[in-house]
Amino acid sequence: MVSASAYVPAIVLLPFVSFIVALFGRENLPKRGAYGGIAATAGSLALSLWVLLSVRNGEAFQETYYTWATGVGAQDWTLTFGALIDPLSALMLVIVSLVAMLVHVFSLGYMNDEGERDLPRYYAGLGLFTASMLGFVIADNLLMAFMFFELVGLCSYLLIGFHFREPGPPSAAKKAFLVTRFGDYFFLVGVVAVFTTFGTAAFAGAESFPALAEAALNGEATVWTPGGLAESTWFTIVGLLVLGGVIGKSAQFPLHTWLPDAMEGPTPVSALIHAATMVAAGVYLVARMYGFYVLSPTTMAIIAFVGGFTALFAATMGVVKRELKQVLAYSTISQYGYMMLALGSGGYVAAVFHLTTHAFFKALLFLGAGSVIIAMHHNEDMWEMGGLKDKLPVTYWTFLAGSLALAGIFPFAGFWSKDEILYEALIHGLDEPLILGAYVMGLLAVPVTAFYTFRMVFLTFHGEPRSSLARDPHSVRWNVKGPLSVLGILAVVTGGINLVPVQKIVPSIEGIDFLHKWLNNDWGGIEGLSSHHYAELDPYSSQYLFGGEVPTVLAGAAVSLGLAIGGLALAWALYNVADPDEHTDKLGGLKALLYNNYYQDEFQVWIADNTRAVAGGADTFDQGVIDGVVNGVSSVSLLSSERIRRIQSGVVSNYALLLTLGLTTLLVVFGLIGGWF
Amino acid sequence: MVPPEYYLVLSSAIFCIGLFGILTRRNALYFLMSAELMLNAAVINLVAFSFQWGNLTGQTFALFVIALAAAEVAVGIGIVLVLYRNFGEIDVLNAATMRW
Repeated sequence: MVSASAYVPAIVLLPFVSFIVALFGRENLPKRGAYGGIAATAGSLALSLWVLLSVRNGEAFQETYYTWATGVGAQDWTLTFGALIDPLSALMLVIVSLVAMLVHVFSLGYMNDEGERDLPRYYAGLGLFTASMLGFVIADNLLMAFMFFELVGLCSYLLIGFHFREPGPPSAAKKAFLVTRFGDYFFLVGVVAVFTTFGTAAFAGAESFPALAEAALNGEATVWTPGGLAESTWFTIVGLLVLGGVIGKSAQFPLHTWLPDAMEGPTPVSALIHAATMVAAGVYLVARMYGFYVLSPTTMAIIAFVGGFTALFAATMGVVKRELKQVLAYSTISQYGYMMLALGSGGYVAAVFHLTTHAFFKALLFLGAGSVIIAMHHNEDMWEMGGLKDKLPVTYWTFLAGSLALAGIFPFAGFWSKDEILYEALIHGLDEPLILGAYVMGLLAVPVTAFYTFRMVFLTFHGEPRSSLARDPHSVRWNVKGPLSVLGILAVVTGGINLVPVQKIVPSIEGIDFLHKWLNNDWGGIEGLSSHHYAELDPYSSQYLFGGEVPTVLAGAAVSLGLAIGGLALAWALYNVADPDEHTDKLGGLKALLYNNYYQDEFQVWIADNTRAVAGGADTFDQGVIDGVVNGVSSVSLLSSERIRRIQSGVVSNYALLLTLGLTTLLVVFGLIGGWF
Repeated sequence: MVPPEYYLVLSSAIFCIGLFGILTRRNALYFLMSAELMLNAAVINLVAFSFQWGNLTGQTFALFVIALAAAEVAVGIGIVLVLYRNFGEIDVLNAATMRW
């Protein structure tokens, strides 16, 4: 029997091959690269499912494929490429390859059928994007993860700027690249810090850095710290450095500004970025090295607070946007805020659960938005839409399922995952004021989310058509409806993998908390990477309201569901009419503030303007000192060669003389040294 | 039997004549002849020591050097011909353009 583990590299290599083929095949390919991409990602999906099944049978493993550098002497580090297949990465592989395949299929409808040019470049980008994210998912050490993290950033740059002939996309691409690079800079310093502290960057095993950090805090091992700093303080600093990369990639406050602009990219790319790759990479990284983060209560609290704040902050901006994709962009930032809140408050399973459900319903919403955009001839303004419900039934019903999931309405997928996040934050927050603050912000974001989601649904699909485009929309084909239907079903049922609240209320039902058992290594996994182990390490204790677990579960769910329904009802009352008004205009100055994203972009530009002196100094240093040294070396050798070449007279007698003199000199020198005279 | 010192004196004398010729002459044919003298000085050494130690390797080697010298002359004459064709004379100081 062939083991699935032998095929893990192929999961990454298949999309990479499709990238190479699209790159060199150019315009001769069938559907200009689309079929190759679909085949490659379908192959990855099949292999990922096989790996998932083998992990279910207890075949989690870690393997090093290639050692590309080894240290010498005392610093005997090895830099390797390897795979770490455990329940978390196996689950993520399936999510990424599934979403990537559906996005490829959807691109047939969105790009090929719309007659876009340069499609091989598009499919090459998608292939490399998928390959880098899959490589990031299987990475077994922090350095390899960093490399693929950077590749993901590069691919997002290439794809966001796909329509480079227009003015908007290239600058959006540059912004995405620079802002995430700013975070990645801290990540890089963090990787170096991890290496110098622990001498390894492996995620799993007894010699991995989370295990060593745990041992060091228990006094069982010693690690290097700069200047004799206390180990717990230093681990907090290292954790925060790596977190810089996470905040950049997962678009958390204050580095979230790139994401709304990234909507300039083609819509299928937005779906891929928001659901499965890029933005998911940050949260996945925290989950991957969770054993390290739980050791530092300060870092955990910061993660939770940033997450809760971002969830609320981004949700408020989503309320006033005019464009379909802008609303979805802010909802993405907000939802990743929830995941960070869950991770920071000790809800590891809840975060992975929300990552899973969000991947499906957000991919669904973006592809649904793409379908609407096709129908509307690439007009994205919701105030020009309306009444599309009857003309695009498949899009409408699937989009509705995704919206209900996003708003957290029972029993759609998003309800279960968001409810579990809020529950974990609540029970751990009753002791910790900071976590409780994050919980309150997360809870406040719930009605806002429901409101903007259904404002979007009602404006787009309900009421009377508000423009000629909406009266006579373009039709969409199977390649749009197919992915939407698959994701629509998933958005409804994915919650079923983790019905923990139901089990808590009715303990007699067995086996409906599948994801908990899965991440708890109930079917085998890597030692030290189980949710159980993390729960032992985390700094929180659980407190319950109303004297018990069951009332707390019920109260938490009732409050969040009640708030969600409240938000939905408000949207219903205001916007589900034949000819809705722009009610957010009544917010006055607040609307201007929200519509301009709290002037965050202007603020960052202001910072950039005021730090220009620093950049100028660095430039002078670079031009003067660094380049000066390099240029100096070259001018010294130029000048001396100008002098020395004069002995090359071209006259053969001179050469003979030089030879003779040289030989004589040699003989004399040897004679003097050897003592012949 | 002639002691080896005599051969060494002879060979260094011939070598110095050859070297003097190369350093002072401008005619390419003199160059060839001088180089030939230096080679033969070396061959004398080989044969002398071969005779001294009763080992035939040196004499065999001398044959190889003679063959090599013949080849060298063949190439050298070719160069001299080309010099003459290009410069109209065979003064080595004129052919000084093959440099930086």
